[in-house]
Amino acid sequence: MRLVLDHLAAYRPFWSLAADGVFSKGIHLVSGDVGSGKSTLALMMAGLRAPESGIVIPEGITKTMLSFQFPEFHVTGLSVAEECASWGLTPDSVTRLAGINVGNETPALSLSRGELKRLHLACILSRDYDLLLLDEPFSSLDCRGKEQVCRQISKQSRGITVIFTHEQSIFPDITHIWEIMRGELVDCGDMPAAARRWQHAPPLVKNLVSAGRIPFKLTPEGIREAACRIRG
Amino acid sequence: MITVDALRYRLLAIDTLAIAPGITSVIGPNGSGKSTLLKLCAGIAEPESGAVLVDSRSPRDAEVGYVNEFPDRNILFSMVKDELASPLRFRHTPCKETDLAIRSCAETLGITRLLDRNMQDLSGGEKILVAFAVACISRPRVIILDECDSHLDADRCAWLEKAFRSSGAAYVIRCTQQMETAAEGDHLIYLEKGRVMHAGTPAAVFSLLSDTPFYPLSWRCPV
Repeated sequence: MRLVLDHLAAYRPFWSLAADGVFSKGIHLVSGDVGSGKSTLALMMAGLRAPESGIVIPEGITKTMLSFQFPEFHVTGLSVAEECASWGLTPDSVTRLAGINVGNETPALSLSRGELKRLHLACILSRDYDLLLLDEPFSSLDCRGKEQVCRQISKQSRGITVIFTHEQSIFPDITHIWEIMRGELVDCGDMPAAARRWQHAPPLVKNLVSAGRIPFKLTPEGIREAACRIRG
Repeated sequence: MITVDALRYRLLAIDTLAIAPGITSVIGPNGSGKSTLLKLCAGIAEPESGAVLVDSRSPRDAEVGYVNEFPDRNILFSMVKDELASPLRFRHTPCKETDLAIRSCAETLGITRLLDRNMQDLSGGEKILVAFAVACISRPRVIILDECDSHLDADRCAWLEKAFRSSGAAYVIRCTQQMETAAEGDHLIYLEKGRVMHAGTPAAVFSLLSDTPFYPLSWRCPV
């Protein structure tokens, strides 16, 4: 199973993006500046936006899901129960996974944005996808929520998970890092070697790399282990 | 001083809280009432009982700039330059003065390249930058930022930090889920279930949260 980006290109009057690469099984992180085209790339990878040139080739991928940055774009049910039902799920199991204490008849759009994001991610992570594209999955989540979602994402070992994010401190067990630099998707490689090449690395990761303590994993535990590691 | 006295509004129950001038970060779990408190300080919502006052005045009588985490909800115009002009046009500022203010604000904030763009063509992060410029253009006394850093990269977050520090606003109140960002403010408020559990300097508040995920990772892992 893999997703091939073959000389993909997207243009707008003020912006362009070129992407060439192969996404294989594992958890991929795509970082880049504001407006660099992460969300556009996610749309193209999901097959929801046609590139101006090049092609996206899904190999062995039958089920794809793209989670948008803003969870309200996904809401189709009036209540929490209806929203869960629209994903073919029961509300009790979803709210338990989401770690939110809300009634089944609560209007979905009356939830706080963090609660709505947790509900939405719990719906997505309750199902299986070959290709799971998550655009800013950690925005709006509190620190506990981020850790919880990261643990759930880390368990998604079955297919290809791609996370497009600006997150600076809490990550799942990322296996491969990409970044968009000057309009081009750059392959930083597999972790942990990718951490050395990652230009958009959060300050803490950059500090660890400069101190020679390359984190083996980007998870909070991995970062703590690298920080506490004795040099030599 | 921004004061909160015997406040009751939805789940929020705050008996007393004083926010001194400077940069105040509001943190807490999802659903703890952070955005609601910010809306009350901005005058977007009014207390069911009790009072929120900005320098002894109602927030609705104070000059407040507010940036929503979801800027799409606040966009009124299709072009960036019209959106940026809107706070001044609504108060009938002369056109020449408005044009000068747009140019000056855009240059200061480094968004001149966006002025002729359509709002809907901007990325989520770019919309936040424009929304921040709209909030700042009339030089408000209070700037309120509702978790807008969650859509920005590290460089833009640093840029935003610098921009609101130099905005001239007496009070900047922001809620954030980036604890490293919260650690850099002057004051910190930790909310839980609608209550202020801790308030004080970041060092004092975080020392009470050291066994929770809210404690900054960079403090836990000094390099």
